[in-house]
Amino acid sequence: MAQPQITEDENALIEQAQHGDRNAFGELVTRYYPGVVRVVYRLCGDTGLAEDMAQEAFLRGWINLTSFHPQSSLRNWLYRIAGNATLDVLRRKTEEPLEEEAAQMYPDPAAGPESALIEKERVALLQHAMHSLPDAARSVLILREYGGLSYQEIASVLDVPVGTVMSRLNYARNRLRELLKGQLLQLENDYA
Amino acid sequence: MHEDMRALLSAYLDGELHGTRLLEMKLHLSACESCRNELKELRLVSDLLQAAPDPEFMPAGRFASNLMLTLPRRTMRDLPPKPGSLVWWLVPGVLLAAWCFVQTVFTLTGAVTAAQISGLLGSGGQETIWFAAVTSLFGSQAAPAQPALSLLNTLTVTGTNLLDGFLWQALIVLLYWGWLSVWWLMRRPRPMKMENAS
Repeated sequence: MAQPQITEDENALIEQAQHGDRNAFGELVTRYYPGVVRVVYRLCGDTGLAEDMAQEAFLRGWINLTSFHPQSSLRNWLYRIAGNATLDVLRRKTEEPLEEEAAQMYPDPAAGPESALIEKERVALLQHAMHSLPDAARSVLILREYGGLSYQEIASVLDVPVGTVMSRLNYARNRLRELLKGQLLQLENDYA
Repeated sequence: MHEDMRALLSAYLDGELHGTRLLEMKLHLSACESCRNELKELRLVSDLLQAAPDPEFMPAGRFASNLMLTLPRRTMRDLPPKPGSLVWWLVPGVLLAAWCFVQTVFTLTGAVTAAQISGLLGSGGQETIWFAAVTSLFGSQAAPAQPALSLLNTLTVTGTNLLDGFLWQALIVLLYWGWLSVWWLMRRPRPMKMENAS
C-alpha cells in the first residue's frame, strides 16, 4: 500500500476541519477509515472493537486536530492515535476474543468444504501466532504488512528509531516463521 | 558477517536496504544458501499475512455519518493560532512603547520650555522663525517691544510643542484602535456547517 499523496485538496480539507468544518472532517474520515480500521483490526482481532477503536481514534483526532501540523501525514497521525487507543484497551481486557473472531471468518465456499476448513484453521493459527508476539513487535509488523508504512513512517508513528523498527520487524517475522512452520505443516498433514 | 546479514533480511525483503548494504546483501545471498532459504520463508510469512482475509467492516460512508453525530462542537479556544499571530501581539506592545517614548519626549520638552521661560537655563531659548526675522530686521528699533515679543515667541514655541505632542498621541491612539478593530474582525469565528448535527 503506497503512501497516499497529500494533495492541496487534502491540505485544504485539513485546514477547514481545523476551523470546525464538520463536512471537511467527514470527507477525511471517509478517506482514512478503511486503512485505520484494518490496522486496528489486525491489532485487536475483533471487528466490533476495531470499529469502536476507529471511532475513538477519529473522535480524538477531531478534538486534537488543532494540534496537528498540516505538513505531517494525517494518516500516520491517525494510525498512532488508533494504535495507542487499541493497545490501551487490549492491556485492560482480560478475555481473549480471537477464537470467536476466527470463527466469523468464512473462507470462499466455492473452494470446497475441506479447503474451507483448512483455510479457516489457517486464519485462526495466524491470528494466534500474531497475538503471541509482544505488542511492540506486533505493532511494527501490522503497520508494515497492513498499513503499508515505510520503516521511516513506522518509526515516526511509534516514536522509535528506524533501527528499532528494523530489529522488531525482523524479530516478529522470524518468530512467526518459527511458529507457523510447524503448525501449518501439521495442519496440511492432518488433512492430507 | 552471516548474522549481520540475517538481521537485515527483513529490511531487504521490504526494499529498505540501499547503497552499500544492498550490494553486500546481494553478494551474501548469492553465496549463502541458508540465508536464501530464510528469505524465502520470510517472504512466505509476509504473503500469508497479507493474504489473510479482512472481515466486512462498516462502509466508510455510514461510519462517517455515525461519527458526525458524536463529534463535539469546536470552541473558539480550540481554534489554531493563525500564522503570524505573534505579530498581532507585538503590535500593541510596539504602540505602547511608542506612546511612552512620545509622552516622555513631550514631558521633557515641556519641562525644558518651562525652565527657559523661568530663566533657569539662561537667556538662550528656542526662537521661532518670525521672532528671529523681526530681531534681525529691526534690531534695536524693536527693543521697546522686546518683552512682549519674547513672551509671544515663548507662547508660540510652547503651543507648537503641545500641538506636536497631541498630534503624535492622536496618531498612536488611532493606530491602536485600528489594530483592535482588525483583530476583532479576524477573531470572529467562521460559520460552522452541520452545526445542528451534535
